[in-house]
Amino acid sequence: MICCKECLDLLYDYIEGSLDQETTDSLEEHFQECPPCISFMKTYKSTTTICRDTLNQVDVPDAVREALLKVLKENKEHPGEN
Amino acid sequence: MSFTQPKENKILEEALVRQFQGGDLEAYDKIAEIYQKKIYGLSFNLTRNQMDAQDVTQEVLLTLFRKIHTFQGKSAFSSWVYRITLNASYMKLRSKKKEPNVSIDELMPSYNGAGFQQEKIQDWSENTESLLFTNETRDVINKAIELLPEKEKVVFLLRDVEGLSTEKAGEILDLTVPAVKSRLHRARLFLRKKLSSYFEEFSSRKVEE
Repeated sequence: MICCKECLDLLYDYIEGSLDQETTDSLEEHFQECPPCISFMKTYKSTTTICRDTLNQVDVPDAVREALLKVLKENKEHPGEN
Repeated sequence: MSFTQPKENKILEEALVRQFQGGDLEAYDKIAEIYQKKIYGLSFNLTRNQMDAQDVTQEVLLTLFRKIHTFQGKSAFSSWVYRITLNASYMKLRSKKKEPNVSIDELMPSYNGAGFQQEKIQDWSENTESLLFTNETRDVINKAIELLPEKEKVVFLLRDVEGLSTEKAGEILDLTVPAVKSRLHRARLFLRKKLSSYFEEFSSRKVEE
């Protein structure tokens, strides 16, 4: 049976679904015997989701959008001055 | 439009680039509109500063205008834009005093001699929903990202936040696929560890109440 350390090394490919069947089976066998590794896997996956959801909230503020439009317009009219 | 571009968007974008290279300024406006949010978001997440992100976005959009003739289409147009964005963001970061990074190795999981977990692992994955958009949680997440070393951070931002493929992130950063995977895995482990302290503390707070 694989140990926790090997389980960690396989986690990335397991989540991507890119492990072969045999390795997937031995990893899942390990999960059945090892609740801490299941918790680890779930929180590893959650980390990506919550970071992505938080960081994707960045929007261009209206003031920035307007300032950019102005600069781009000036640049088109008089290229090379900015 | 997301980073994992559907085929139609990619074709539309290539057409816009060709039109702009041929002198069509309206095509440039459309390109600027498509990319503005992406450039701003990525540079803001790297610099964590609104003024810097604004400067970077302006600089990148102007560079696209001036250097479009140098784009030869060997890689995807979007990869070219990201590379310019990353370089401009790094210039901003280098001009500032740098806080020392935390050693990422210290936060990697530890095992006993037989390769089994040594630390207590709590499953907080079910408890994040109600916390997700509170200011406190946002601050914790932003702080954790900020502490990531630059090499891991940029891979995490391109791959997990922007949703690019491993291959594309490798193309932009000039890294092999295994190198992208290894940095991303380390970034996720680092962030997991940082977030665990917060969410575990929150779970125990809840139990006490």
